[in-house]
Amino acid sequence: MKRDDFPEQQALLQAVLGAGDASALLQWLPQGQAARRLSERGLLAYRANGHALAERALAAAYPVLFQFMGEENFAMLARHFWSAHPPSLGDMACWGEELAGFIDAAPQLADEPCLGDVARLEWLMHAAATAADAEIDLASFALLASGDEAPVTLALGAGVALLASAHPVVSIVNAHLVGQPSLQEAGQRLAAGCAEHALIWRQGFKPCVRLSSAAEHKLIEALLAGQALAEALDLADSLSDKGTGFDFNTWLAEAVQTGLVCGARPCQ
Amino acid sequence: METKRFAPMASPAGLSTGIGWRHPHYAHVLESRPALDFLEVHSENFFGQGGAALAVLQQARQTYPISLHGVGLALGSVAGVDPWHLDQLSQLVERIEPVRVSDHASFARGQVNGLDLHAADLLPVAFHRRSLDVLCANVQQVQDRLKRVLLVENLSAYVSFNNSDMDETDFLGELASRTGCGLLVDVNNIYVNALNARMAGSTADPVRACLEWLERLPPHAVAELHVAGHKDCGDIVIDDHGSRVCEQVWQIYQHALTLFGGVPQSLATLVEWDTDIPPLQVLLDEAARARAFQAHAEEVHA
Repeated sequence: MKRDDFPEQQALLQAVLGAGDASALLQWLPQGQAARRLSERGLLAYRANGHALAERALAAAYPVLFQFMGEENFAMLARHFWSAHPPSLGDMACWGEELAGFIDAAPQLADEPCLGDVARLEWLMHAAATAADAEIDLASFALLASGDEAPVTLALGAGVALLASAHPVVSIVNAHLVGQPSLQEAGQRLAAGCAEHALIWRQGFKPCVRLSSAAEHKLIEALLAGQALAEALDLADSLSDKGTGFDFNTWLAEAVQTGLVCGARPCQ
Repeated sequence: METKRFAPMASPAGLSTGIGWRHPHYAHVLESRPALDFLEVHSENFFGQGGAALAVLQQARQTYPISLHGVGLALGSVAGVDPWHLDQLSQLVERIEPVRVSDHASFARGQVNGLDLHAADLLPVAFHRRSLDVLCANVQQVQDRLKRVLLVENLSAYVSFNNSDMDETDFLGELASRTGCGLLVDVNNIYVNALNARMAGSTADPVRACLEWLERLPPHAVAELHVAGHKDCGDIVIDDHGSRVCEQVWQIYQHALTLFGGVPQSLATLVEWDTDIPPLQVLLDEAARARAFQAHAEEVHA
């Protein structure tokens, strides 16, 4: 069956998504004034439903942006984004990843250059919320002390991701979500032009973000790429404070405790 | 997976009653374990590979049978079923072992300006042979993949097409006979459609129209009924699932029980509530009302 065989589907889809000429639908609607009026009202209902769905879906994925922009501005952003980047999948939780780029390119939001990276960070937290669960395997850490020459790496926890930003995005997001730092402190960091490395992961069922050092960022970046722990530590050491190196043992204890690392495994 | 049943099962034999289980009631239902025969959830809300939502559903599954009701398969799309969507649903079915799996006789997928898009809505299909062929092929594909019968629900449609040349009930009946799928009859949807048809001047008696609509369906194919509230906006009636079931819908529901409740297979009833979600007790009261009608219908059948 060819798509061209179903022009009424194509016409309604375009009309609902506001893509192209809605008048193409008119030829497929019932005749008669009352029936036509109802169909046109029905089309408005579908469009309104799409906009409402867009606002709800994005507000769920981007709670900080929602607070930052306010309900009215956020709703307008959601509607514009819906028209520019309509969904491609039937799960609305998957929709919205392109919002950061859309914000970066929006002239109306150019005065708030941090918003794009705030959106990037929130999307990573949104993705972490439904990432595959990672069970901690304490026994596997014996691999680190085995002396075996086979390269070993670390198994990271659920939803681990990184973002290096030229803006204080961790401070902004945590100020809005958990009140630490305060909004005032986050504002001061924003005004001072502070850059921040963000480390995102899920602690239990709760997506979290915290500040990360350049060395830790490099370590986890290498681990996410599947590199051996020894190589990853070399990279981290090269970025750590002069002379001190990266304190792996202290870091690992905290990482395991907070669910950032859940085990060790042979490199594949 | 072992299912721990609760007592007592208040629905008559062969009949079951559940509620749409939404986020505001997750904790309350798990704590209070009300006597329901099943919980219904929207499949897509649990497509993630892990996390809190999936864990909560798996916890609920220890107590209740789960009905997975989809809103995104877009079974009537000429573009076909999205393989990604079917993969997610298949994984969820394996994890949850649901009592039923259902979706709608709607379309949402298509190509616009060279991109594959999904309208994230339940858009109506034209009722004609070619459309039926597409729907049958897609339903069959899903059933083959899931290795189980799918239930397909009638829509509340706000647009109809002038190239439809089949009655909706003939369309659905033939879908069931060709694919072996079950029918999920949303009583509120047919009433919403009838109210809108009255606005368009094509029916004078919406309730009568709904009763006759039900009578044209093949009774043996109907496996589930939905009841819900709707909203009259003045110039259109919207199926918003945001209020109590109205008396007219209960009246039509009773007729559906008479028609479909006496056949050998089981018949489930779902109370849906998706917007302006009230306290759990309101949904339980609606479920109790459905059960009272079921008990009455069983007496009639006996």
